[in-house]
Amino acid sequence: MREPEGMTTDPEELQEEEKDKKKRRWLLLLLMLLLLLLACVCWLAFRYARQPEPLPEMLPVDVNYPPHYLFSIYGVDRPVGVAVSPDGERIYVAETGGERLVKIFDREGNPLGSFAPPHTTPAQRSPVYLATDHLGRVFVADRLQNVVFVYDEDGVFLDAILGPELSLSEYVAEQVDGFQPEDMFVFNWFEGVYYRPASPEEELAEAAETAGPEEGARLLPIVDIAKWGPLGVRFDGEGRLLLTNTSGDHYVCVVPVEALGATPWRDFNPIPVIFGTAGQGDGQFLFPNTAVIDSQGRFFVTDGNNGRVTVWDREGNFLFYFGRGTGEGAISLPRGAYVDERDRLYVVDAVSQQVKVYDVSGEEVGFLFAFGEWGLDDGQFNYPNDIALDETGRLYIADRENSRIQVWSY
Amino acid sequence: MKKVFFVASIVLIAALLTAGLASANGGPHGGYTATTDACAGCHRAHTATGPNLLTASSTYDLCISCHGSTGSGANTNVDDGYYLSTRDDSGGDWNHGAANTPDNAPLLGGGFVNYKGAAVTSSHVPSGTVAAAWGNGVARGATANLADGNLTCASCHDPHGSNNYRIINETVNGTAVSVTQVDEGAAKDYNTEQWADSSISQFCAACHGAYHVTRAGSGTDNSDDGLGNTDYGGDISTFAHRVDMSYSYGGNSNPETVGVISGTTTYTLPLAASGTNNLVVCTTCHLPHGTSATMSGVAASNPGPAGDSALLRLDNRGVCEVCHQK
Ligand code: HEC
Ligand code: HEC
Ligand code: HEC
Ligand code: HEC
Ligand code: HEC
Ligand code: HEC
Repeated sequence: MREPEGMTTDPEELQEEEKDKKKRRWLLLLLMLLLLLLACVCWLAFRYARQPEPLPEMLPVDVNYPPHYLFSIYGVDRPVGVAVSPDGERIYVAETGGERLVKIFDREGNPLGSFAPPHTTPAQRSPVYLATDHLGRVFVADRLQNVVFVYDEDGVFLDAILGPELSLSEYVAEQVDGFQPEDMFVFNWFEGVYYRPASPEEELAEAAETAGPEEGARLLPIVDIAKWGPLGVRFDGEGRLLLTNTSGDHYVCVVPVEALGATPWRDFNPIPVIFGTAGQGDGQFLFPNTAVIDSQGRFFVTDGNNGRVTVWDREGNFLFYFGRGTGEGAISLPRGAYVDERDRLYVVDAVSQQVKVYDVSGEEVGFLFAFGEWGLDDGQFNYPNDIALDETGRLYIADRENSRIQVWSY
Repeated sequence: MKKVFFVASIVLIAALLTAGLASANGGPHGGYTATTDACAGCHRAHTATGPNLLTASSTYDLCISCHGSTGSGANTNVDDGYYLSTRDDSGGDWNHGAANTPDNAPLLGGGFVNYKGAAVTSSHVPSGTVAAAWGNGVARGATANLADGNLTCASCHDPHGSNNYRIINETVNGTAVSVTQVDEGAAKDYNTEQWADSSISQFCAACHGAYHVTRAGSGTDNSDDGLGNTDYGGDISTFAHRVDMSYSYGGNSNPETVGVISGTTTYTLPLAASGTNNLVVCTTCHLPHGTSATMSGVAASNPGPAGDSALLRLDNRGVCEVCHQK
């Protein structure tokens, strides 16, 4: 038998061999350890990649800590509104240019789809602010249609809010004997309400898409929704819907969560909380853009043309305002707003081209910092209009004239 | 240096503007008092430097932040040509401003993107990209550049307020302009019927002088504008129509509007007051912002802007037929 090369029987060499073996074993062990470490790192990196941002509890304790720019989502035309789904996986964007659609993107900014009120043309609609509720439904205020349209998470039309105490399905049910939840109904301010009883072979969503004056659909009498012109849309932690109204009078309307169960809302009888009137004084608004709430239950309303944020208590009694004038923390043209879980209020200031952040955890409001400046580069704004936050510390900002959504992060 | 100038201008302008200009429906234009900080709504509230002291490059972008289709700062949505709120007024028709109109009544100025629910087919271009105006000190059908650069909203309107109807600039393209408002009440709001008097023609003429033909009769007499100004040449019936004359029809010798009924639709054109008379003016046939009227055949081959709708209120030569009924 031929001995394998390099083998020896010499005792000294054997000792050497033993040493070598030990060394090799050590090396092997080290390698295994390294591999394990690598696996660990990989696994962590994978987890990190799945969740690119630190979780909220890993945020620095100091609230006075500005976020940084990550990337931008393009493929939107002059966006004015932005919202994130409750799980943070979907970004909804309302555009005023082009076809005036609501577009859906994933967290990385890949397009997932788009939608618009069924049976409307681009010249008949103008989606502005939007928000998602805890069920993932999307609520979109349309300034030309004068209503809030409600869609499921994929943009399938569900119902609409035609007034503080009137839903579209409720209106249809009043007009039609034997209204069924599956029946097709669509609203177009310029044309009227179309209704068609469900027929078994037709899908509701499909029907809504193609509905119109054509065969089978009935045109119901005009709904009188004068003086209803919703603009701002937000939800608070309790699931209440916070709307601002700018047609006729200017006020905030809070729809209780009980009214917002499964659609269609055939019995839409909320007892809304309504506060504010049009004007420049205390307790008044000129074009209130959005209403948000802090952990104390106080309302913060961006009072657009008055250049300030007004603060109201739980019951809708006026407390005070801030941001008027010049100097640190002063606001020019406040638009979209958001409060994060650490009671920081974010206000998009369209004219000073910044997002301004305030500490609203105490009784008084303290200015923390502002970020952004005018420009066309990454991290610069050109008439920003809205902001939404998710739970991973991401901020989405509608950068209107740059036709993009900027993604920032802590 | 710039800052010093700015502060000085603020004081000066604020002082000038306190001289009793009424602001319209909560608009930020004019009506300033020495103590208000209304400037911040359009100019940066803090001391950061910005181009031209304004907050961004384009005037149009600023105006559209409020006057755009989102209506998030004004009811007059000039993109779509709609008034976005309900108006309370009895009587009147939208051709002359407010009436008892629901939301989405058409604006008097027309629209820059859409008008009456359809995409515009021609408009004044407000984005600061065009300077050449038809008949601007040159013959009809020819163009010359405006005195102060490209056309923007601020070429026609003064965002700080003015004594003119709809805050039209008091100096347009280097020419002094005065456009008086005619209405039911003094208030500048959208709940009363209000419109411009016949001086609106002079406003258009500040940039399109050659089209301001006021002399009676046709043919050879139309070489000048009838005011003894430049000899522009050209034939009135192809290039320009006489304006600033009264129009009478039927038993009504002094109508506020003229109209024809065709089928089930009534087509009306507004006239503009001058004293107690109502006159034919540029805005009788044209919308100042933009139109969605469509042109075909001969109507699409006008000698000026190649084949577009030339801001006309009605399809084809519909405007002619309203007065010259055959
Ligand atoms: C902060 C919001 C805002 C901005 C910015 C703004 N406007 Fe206005 N403007 C208004 C409001 C509000 C009114 C009152 C009528 C209405 O509700 O639409 C108004 C009224 C007007 C009127 C009618 C005035 C009258 O006498 O009836 C004109 C013309 C006008 N704006 C032009 C402009 C131009 C040009 C710009 C840009 C330089 C501009 N606006 C920027 C809010 C704004
Ligand atoms: C509705 C928006 C608006 C408001 C409110 C406003 N401005 Fe302006 N301002 C403008 C615009 C637009 C221009 C640029 C005009 C142009 O393009 O000709 C301008 C130009 C100016 C200029 C000239 C700057 C330059 O570089 O030419 C001064 C000075 C000025 N504004 C001062 C003021 C003051 C003072 C106030 C408050 C009393 C005020 N503005 C309120 C829109 C506004
Ligand atoms: C070529 C001049 C011109 C330009 C450019 C122009 N406007 Fe006007 N605008 C007018 C005239 C004239 C009227 C009055 C229309 C009437 O009442 O007949 C008017 C009316 C308005 C009104 C009152 C609402 C209405 O239509 O009745 C607003 C608001 C307005 N303009 C805003 C703007 C804005 C914002 C821009 C820029 C995007 C702009 N305008 C550009 C000439 C102009
Ligand atoms: C009786 C209706 C009528 C009146 C009044 C009128 N126009 Fe016109 N205008 C037209 C028509 C039609 C066209 C397009 C076809 C053409 O050029 O013949 C036109 C075209 C124009 C053009 C585009 C250039 C061109 O030559 O086609 C300008 C600029 C113009 N008009 C300015 C004015 C001005 C300024 C006034 C007021 C002094 C005025 N118009 C009054 C009907 C009218
Ligand atoms: C500040 C200067 C200015 C004033 C004032 C002005 N225009 Fe013009 N106009 C222009 C310029 C520049 C153009 C060419 C570019 C464009 O279409 O915007 C033009 C184009 C036009 C056109 C041709 C549009 C087309 O493309 O078919 C018509 C028609 C017209 N103007 C009518 C009017 C009328 C009517 C008025 C008064 C209500 C008026 N203009 C006031 C500057 C002005
Ligand atoms: C608002 C009513 C009105 C409209 C609209 C109108 N016209 Fe006239 N037109 C008149 C009047 C009034 C006269 C008589 C003018 C005079 O006394 O010189 C006239 C005269 C004329 C003349 C005779 C020439 C002259 O100066 O006497 C021609 C040609 C003419 N119009 C063509 C047109 C055309 C083409 C159009 C459409 C672009 C048109 N008109 C739209 C009221 C109108």
